[in-house]
Amino acid sequence: MARDLAIDLGTANTLVYMKGKGIVLNEPSVIAVNRQSGEVLATGHDAWDMIGRTPSYIVAVRPLRGGAITDFDITERMIRLLLQRVGVSRFTRPKVVICVPSAITEVERRAVTDATRRAGASDAQLIEQPMAAAIGANLPIDEPVGNMVIDIGGGTTETAVISLGGVVALEAIRVGSFDIDAAIQSYVRREHGVAIGERTAEEIKIQIGSAEPGPQDRSADIRGRDLVTGLPKTVRLTAEEVRFAIDEPVAAMVLSVKRCLAKAPPELAQDFLARGMYLVGGGGMLRGLAARIERETEVPVKMSPQPLEAVVLGAGHCIENYQALRGMFMGTRR
Amino acid sequence: MIGLSFFTALFSFIAIVSGATLLVLIYLDNRNVRIDDGIANFRRHIDALSPEARQSSVHRNNQEDRRNQ
Repeated sequence: MARDLAIDLGTANTLVYMKGKGIVLNEPSVIAVNRQSGEVLATGHDAWDMIGRTPSYIVAVRPLRGGAITDFDITERMIRLLLQRVGVSRFTRPKVVICVPSAITEVERRAVTDATRRAGASDAQLIEQPMAAAIGANLPIDEPVGNMVIDIGGGTTETAVISLGGVVALEAIRVGSFDIDAAIQSYVRREHGVAIGERTAEEIKIQIGSAEPGPQDRSADIRGRDLVTGLPKTVRLTAEEVRFAIDEPVAAMVLSVKRCLAKAPPELAQDFLARGMYLVGGGGMLRGLAARIERETEVPVKMSPQPLEAVVLGAGHCIENYQALRGMFMGTRR
Repeated sequence: MIGLSFFTALFSFIAIVSGATLLVLIYLDNRNVRIDDGIANFRRHIDALSPEARQSSVHRNNQEDRRNQ
């Protein structure tokens, strides 16, 4: 008998929740494929280690960008492998709930459900990430009070106001933590004349990246390729430089939160001052981001206790209560 | 012959009126059920989102985490 699944198919990481068991898989959304034969060589952590380090006949890619499928065939194969790894066979076809960005288009929505069905699911339902995040973060969304959740993922930033089990206001932009990495890459290339890979940029962000000045500001030595000589080169980056480099995507995130606050009905707006906003998603873990949002919006910001797992836990709760929560799935609402 | 057709017409009339009344009652009853269904569905939906209902999913996940460690 197939156990139903909830999948957070994120731009950065994929998490799978199995009904009755909890989270059974958590790994990067990366797949390595042999260009010549079309064979899948690695997925998840193994494929992530290959990014930027493969021979020409191997390509290690993220098949999702901005939360949407960019390569349908590779995404289908990745989902098929995920399902196989959690024990789904051709005879056991589970129901699957997939978390997707709320700004997804009709075409992208169909691509996700088709890819999931073709990968072996008997039924594929979609749920908006901020709604799943609010359920997973244990916010009291069953009550008639304003709950605000900010989900910053790899490719998207989504802010939602939720009350009485439904979305009241929503703001989504296709800017996420990968845009922060890209901004660091671009800054180092422009200001220091050194090319660095996306993994190095991510490491810089984790080590010294911040959205607000703080006591932990440090500097770090980074290695890349000199654009003039073509030789390996080490340069020193300060936290202030990184803050300057990533200001554009960070400002876009803060602005989207402000726009969502402006959309919220006044009755609920007063709840935010008392209850605060909740930050989830890997991008929300950027040092000083909560403080910056708090400073610019004048609303308290709290970090969810499980920022990386909140979305899949929420979708998992929907799969545990499939019949009662059917109305939450995209496409079933009127 | 006239008596027979009178009674036939009378019973036919009564049958039609009874049938129509029955249909109206069934329709009204169904409408009530649909209204009640909406309330019940919404109640179920909200109850499924309560902290108590969510506790079981979180608890299950924490147990699994501990087992994996």
